[in-house]
Amino acid sequence: MVNFIKRDKDDIYSKPILGFLFKNQKFLLTLKLVVLFIFLYAIYYGFAHTGKDNNFTYAVFWGIFWSLFMVITLPTFGRIFCGICPHGFVGKYITKFGLKKTMPKWMQNRYIGILLLVIGWWGIYYMFPGLFRTPLGTAALFTVMTFIAFVVYFLYKDMSYCKYICPIGTLTRAYSKLSFTWLGTYKSACNECKTFECATACPYNLKPFTFDSRNSMTDCTLCMDCSAACEAVSFKTKKPSFSLFSKFQTLKAEVWTFILILASIPITMSFHHGIGRSNAANDMIWSKTAEFLKNYINFGSVDAVGLFAFLYALAFTVVAALIGMFIASKILQKDFKKIFYDLGYSYAPLFILGSIAHSLETFFMRGYERIVEGFAQGFGFSVDVASLAKRGDSWLHMFGLLKWVAIAWALIILYKRIKLLDASKVRKIIAYPFAASLVIFFLSVNIYRGHIIDTYGRASGGHGSHGGGAMFQSVSKDKAIILQSGKDKHLCSNCSMKLPKFYKTNHAAHLKDETKQYCSIHCLSEAKNIKKMPLRDLKVVDVTSLKFIDAKEAFYVVGSKKKATMSEVSKYAFALKADAIKFSKRYRGRVVNFAEAEKIAMKDFDTPAKNMASKPSVSDVVYFSDKNPIPKKGKGSHGGHSHGGWGKVPSKKVWPLFEDSSEKLRCFDDIKAELYLLDANLKVSKLNQSRDRGCKSVSFKMPANGYYNLFYKAKDIENKTLYISTSKYEYMRFNHSNDAVYDNEKMAAHSIKEVPFDILRLREEGETFYHRLYSGEKIRFKVLLDSKEIKGANVTLSTKTGWSKTVKTDKNGVAVFTLIQDYFPDWDKFDRRHQNKFLITATYTKDAKGEYLYEDYDKVKYTSTYSSLYYPGESSYKSYAYGLFAASAAAIITGFIIYFFRKRREKPFKEVKFNEKN
Amino acid sequence: MKKIRDFINKADIKRFRFWLQLFFFVIFIYGGYFAINLGNSIPVFSCGYDREVGGMCYFLPLQHQLARPLDVLFSVASISVLIGFVTFLLWFIVFNKAWCGYACPLGTMQDWLTGLRKKLGIRYSTYTQPQFNKLKKIKYIMLAIVILSPIAVGMGLLGGEWRTAFCQICPGRMITPLFVGDVSQWSLDFSTKSAMILTSIGLVFTGLFVVGSFIKKRFFCFFCPMSAMHYIFSDAALLKLKKDGDKCTKCGDCYNVCDMQIKDIADDVESTNILRDDCIMCLKCVAACPEDDALHVDLVNYPIFKSTKGGFVKRMEIEELEKKND
Repeated sequence: MVNFIKRDKDDIYSKPILGFLFKNQKFLLTLKLVVLFIFLYAIYYGFAHTGKDNNFTYAVFWGIFWSLFMVITLPTFGRIFCGICPHGFVGKYITKFGLKKTMPKWMQNRYIGILLLVIGWWGIYYMFPGLFRTPLGTAALFTVMTFIAFVVYFLYKDMSYCKYICPIGTLTRAYSKLSFTWLGTYKSACNECKTFECATACPYNLKPFTFDSRNSMTDCTLCMDCSAACEAVSFKTKKPSFSLFSKFQTLKAEVWTFILILASIPITMSFHHGIGRSNAANDMIWSKTAEFLKNYINFGSVDAVGLFAFLYALAFTVVAALIGMFIASKILQKDFKKIFYDLGYSYAPLFILGSIAHSLETFFMRGYERIVEGFAQGFGFSVDVASLAKRGDSWLHMFGLLKWVAIAWALIILYKRIKLLDASKVRKIIAYPFAASLVIFFLSVNIYRGHIIDTYGRASGGHGSHGGGAMFQSVSKDKAIILQSGKDKHLCSNCSMKLPKFYKTNHAAHLKDETKQYCSIHCLSEAKNIKKMPLRDLKVVDVTSLKFIDAKEAFYVVGSKKKATMSEVSKYAFALKADAIKFSKRYRGRVVNFAEAEKIAMKDFDTPAKNMASKPSVSDVVYFSDKNPIPKKGKGSHGGHSHGGWGKVPSKKVWPLFEDSSEKLRCFDDIKAELYLLDANLKVSKLNQSRDRGCKSVSFKMPANGYYNLFYKAKDIENKTLYISTSKYEYMRFNHSNDAVYDNEKMAAHSIKEVPFDILRLREEGETFYHRLYSGEKIRFKVLLDSKEIKGANVTLSTKTGWSKTVKTDKNGVAVFTLIQDYFPDWDKFDRRHQNKFLITATYTKDAKGEYLYEDYDKVKYTSTYSSLYYPGESSYKSYAYGLFAASAAAIITGFIIYFFRKRREKPFKEVKFNEKN
Repeated sequence: MKKIRDFINKADIKRFRFWLQLFFFVIFIYGGYFAINLGNSIPVFSCGYDREVGGMCYFLPLQHQLARPLDVLFSVASISVLIGFVTFLLWFIVFNKAWCGYACPLGTMQDWLTGLRKKLGIRYSTYTQPQFNKLKKIKYIMLAIVILSPIAVGMGLLGGEWRTAFCQICPGRMITPLFVGDVSQWSLDFSTKSAMILTSIGLVFTGLFVVGSFIKKRFFCFFCPMSAMHYIFSDAALLKLKKDGDKCTKCGDCYNVCDMQIKDIADDVESTNILRDDCIMCLKCVAACPEDDALHVDLVNYPIFKSTKGGFVKRMEIEELEKKND
């Protein structure tokens, strides 16, 4: 034993704050006592408050202990969780007075703990979701575990419970190998030591002075008792997982922990919660197995799908690990067991880093709020905090990086461990990918999950609701209060939707002697204000108590994230203002009174969709727009983008529009014209209008790079004149791929024979896939009539600001315009990607006799449109003069500075003479 | 075999380097005219803003890729990012930092400016050692800008004009396109405040670049983030610059010829791998070393170019000097 030692720089004990936290015995004792108190109190609280309103027990056990604190500390500081664990803390004293027997051989089996965790906890978790997470379940579980722990501590010596029975004992031991801390000793002091205080002090009967030479901390739980006994004990920072980079005595149970935990947590979660919440969930093998077996076995309340997802995950994971390692061992010509347990340590990072990501994400989204509010509740005061992040906040995706770090880390450990083996280099290289089989399996499960969710989409109901897709508004039939009577009393008086299904937005009112009940404020307002029914005594359901209250006294939360009934903007009513504010904090939205809510509800009825759609008269000019004429509320309408995720064929949606005689913009309620698409490979196909309600649109897919031309052609006859109206929408799709070839032939402007009158935008010299139109540029159009250039057609360019210019085509059928600059915003609002829309209209009248729809005509009037956009020219925001000035000023000023600096030195800077040629 | 080796060791590395640099300069700057396209993961500053580029600097695509929304970036869709990165690594690990000394067009331009200065007979400048130690950290800050600023764009913290923030301030963007007669990058962008700040920094840096590399050899390489990125992966490279400390007499020749003022090349007799983060692997030091085998360049542990007494004598033209003296 030594009383003083000069500590190394990397020794945590020598650091000012961390050293105190990890070494000061009084502090550690206090900390352990506090943790023990919270632990016992949370259990007591769980028994005392079994209701759902008990947030405290949940916060302690499932908010902090597992998984937040544990998974974050394990791969960083190591097993400090065990160091402050109440079981170990009390167990040390129990053992002191206990029987100190040796544990029987059959119980000295680490698989007891592992299987308790994998089957006893995770198996049950997937079979009966939510069982343990109730306050009572949690309290009961931890009481039983504590009882078992204390009995085992009393009977057996050396803290055998922690080593063999504790469900997370082996888990923490295994994953702490990734940490960057290391408990060891100073060799110089230990060499002369004869008393071994550190070993005597250790409640686990370990020998800290052998840790360094064995390259393993074995069962050390970082309780720091040894560091109190002798100063030669060190606690150093090292490279993360450094001990895995050299040899040590492997422990089979640890490798199995890595595999089984990987199977039961991330893999099963990917299966059951990831893929299981997509639309393809029912096609997966575990769902099918469960469905199939349901015909023969009665599962009762067991979640069969979860159970089979778990079983399949276990099977797949174990098989993936075994097969890969078996092949690797054959290639390396080594004993399978040696290879398996030597290289299996590379699996360590896979679970734990992903789990950190998940825990942190949960913490920022919900955990923080639950923990703070839970603890406040436990200690008898009330606070209300908002969560730190919202689902979908983009910075939360940062944590997604950890999964890739885990995979890289696993591959590095595998590389280092395979290097330690004694085999030829070629064999090692060939064996490497096979030994990495489980890493590859983990990677592919992740890729597959992403693929499934991208391709099939998330099933509605989404995350968070374990029991299927019930809507927020719904309550069960027996809970819904139905005020009206009659046969259809369960249906909304206005729209006949089921009332209990939308109960939380239900309204009611008196009409003469009758009571009418409505599904929502939307239907109520429709009856009251549009159908002008004399409704009185308006009532609404209070979301908190689910009872009807006076609507005029209620507090409405408008525009929250919870879905609305019959509307895009949700409106939920509360009797108490505090409840309304709390709700709006959680789900956003604002608190208003009934009159305001009714006004907002009435806005549903004046959306433009209902009075916008119509059909054009013969003289109306029709053109395509890529912007939805009815902008969606809330979301900024940003047209011009093509849709399509990664790996999907992008598509484009456009709306044909026209202005009616009163110059009001209108869209089609039914497109009665012919629609053609000329794709990038110059193939013509016919298109159909969308099945949207309201404004009709046309969409087309764009699989290849190049121009896509959409044509509209309509014919009509009136006053002995045949009107032929065409319009064209030209769009270039380019995916920025390096393989794209700009084929001048294909990329040129094309017309199709189905369209008699057409406008072509002629390509300029040297156009590429990056081509765009800018203000100040010349733009040339060619007008074709029956595929021949036509002279003397009127061509008009009009911009959004109302500027227009008309020219006649020359003998080649070409009209030339200069795109004017008509975008003059304030400097701070300037957007260089501002899209100036413009419309080209070509008209031509020809005398021709003929018959259309059994009516004669003696004139044909052709109209064609071409809509596109241009961007502000570079000269409107870029300056060469200033640029050149900045660069040359910098050059000249530095030049002078250097010149004068050199001149001022009387003696030149001590020059080193040598032949500069070399 | 011995003859070949002797020939290489006595080679005029300066001339060899000049022609190789010219060759790569033409490939990278004018490659488009010859329909050469080496992809866009090239580990040198062959600027992508040059429309005839024969192989693009890796930073331009990297910044574009990193600026994806975070959920896309950390998903499977970003396999393409990984592919680009692996291609970059494959290019890099073959030649290590010799990319800087032999292939980088921006480096070549600086060498030409240095040549011009020499012709004019103007003295060159150096940093003092404390200045050197402080300034060398700048390239890691630049690398941080390359990586973090597009990620911040992806997170929505910064506006779109920060997507290629480093390219905006990199002098290569102004200077490289000049060689194909494109002056469009020499403009100040007033469309937003940050675009204005970035482009004016870029233009000021361009001015500094010209003056700086005129009076200080390889002025820009000292701050080059690509150099920093190279150094991170240089341990994995196949080509290595090695030193045999036992044979070193600390004569300082190597330090004196070093464009980058790396002191370790003369002082350090402990490490075998003498490549430092500023090194551009121009191999001037090997050529200037008068001791047999003290410095050598290895390709997968096989020495391909060694310092020899004979080579030193030949390159220094000592024999001719002696003849003259006789």
